[in-house]
Amino acid sequence: MTAPRDFNACIARIAAQQDREAFAALFDYYAPRVKALLVRSGSPPSAAEELAQETLLTVWRKAHLFDQGRASAAAWIFTIARNLRIDSLRRADRAVYAEDFAPEAEDPPQPDAILNGAQEAERVRAAMRTLNPDQAQAIEMAFFHEQTHTQISDALGVPLGTIKARIRFGMMKLRAIIERETGGVA
Amino acid sequence: MSLRRQPSEERLLAYAAGTLSPPEAVVVATHLTLRPETRAWTALGHAIGGALLEDLEPLALDGGASEAVLARLDASAPPVVETAAPKGADASLPAPLRHFPLGPWRWLGPGVHVRDVLGPRDGDCRVILLRIAPGQCTPRHTHGGVELTCVISGAYATEDGVFSPGDFEEADANVTHQPRVVSAEPCLCVAALDGQIVLPGRLGRLLRPFVRL
Repeated sequence: MTAPRDFNACIARIAAQQDREAFAALFDYYAPRVKALLVRSGSPPSAAEELAQETLLTVWRKAHLFDQGRASAAAWIFTIARNLRIDSLRRADRAVYAEDFAPEAEDPPQPDAILNGAQEAERVRAAMRTLNPDQAQAIEMAFFHEQTHTQISDALGVPLGTIKARIRFGMMKLRAIIERETGGVA
Repeated sequence: MSLRRQPSEERLLAYAAGTLSPPEAVVVATHLTLRPETRAWTALGHAIGGALLEDLEPLALDGGASEAVLARLDASAPPVVETAAPKGADASLPAPLRHFPLGPWRWLGPGVHVRDVLGPRDGDCRVILLRIAPGQCTPRHTHGGVELTCVISGAYATEDGVFSPGDFEEADANVTHQPRVVSAEPCLCVAALDGQIVLPGRLGRLLRPFVRL
């Protein structure tokens, strides 16, 4: 793996001066990952290709809405890709999802212990490595393949309650680790 | 868990991942609007999504994709998606509910009215608004499937305690409950309902042809 570049700064440069070089760097790194994410979530490759391009175009257009104190580049780009996918499925709730991507008018209490700039993605990845494999697997499956908890339960042959508990305890552990590391208080 | 009056962590993760059903997502989004502190969990979900994205084996785009997209950067952005509330929507509701037209209020029992939130569906699962007058109960009922409820205004009490604006409750087939409104104003709730509400007992059987929730 290449050392993580400062992609947060790239987005800031796009917002400040429409920096095409910064955009190209973001595109080269993230577009193929977004495409992989969408394929794993069940999009046909051609749709994934198109949505990956749209995701990065949206980054260009909405760079001014990116708030480094709120999310890492990776988390933000993930959220854009998720919204575009829901949009492409023409789900009735797509307007609802679009909202948690809009700038916060009334600023909620900041979960700043969790969202803290450029190192966030690395911190979350490190925390995920401390989960037991069952917990990590259940959380990953909740993200990929468009799988509901019931489908995960069927796929693994594990009771639904167990799947939910694995996700729940995995989430609680992640939050506890991240908050301890950042000295944040819940 | 349910005593915390917020969606379970696994439900919040599914919301962040975009895999909740549309009706469930609408009720969770209403809770997130009224209780922004719960967004710490969905933010964690987005961060996990970001971390998983970083770790994925990249899948090469078609040749020339990068140049094609760079060439599109200066094109004018597509018009902003129409955000005007649809006809029949209620602007006084929490933001996530303003996107949908509403059906007419229907009488469900003494002091109990219900109306459909039109749009979000998943099989038998749909979204309703429930308005219950002070002091009134819904008829004692069990649930055909899972029911998610978020209080918008007013308050109700069940065997589990009092539920106030923003509070979120999950009930499934094993729960028989009879919420009673304990606020001085009517209690307005949004609920995602999977299957029919089953009213137990003789009165329930008697009412069934009339009461379709």
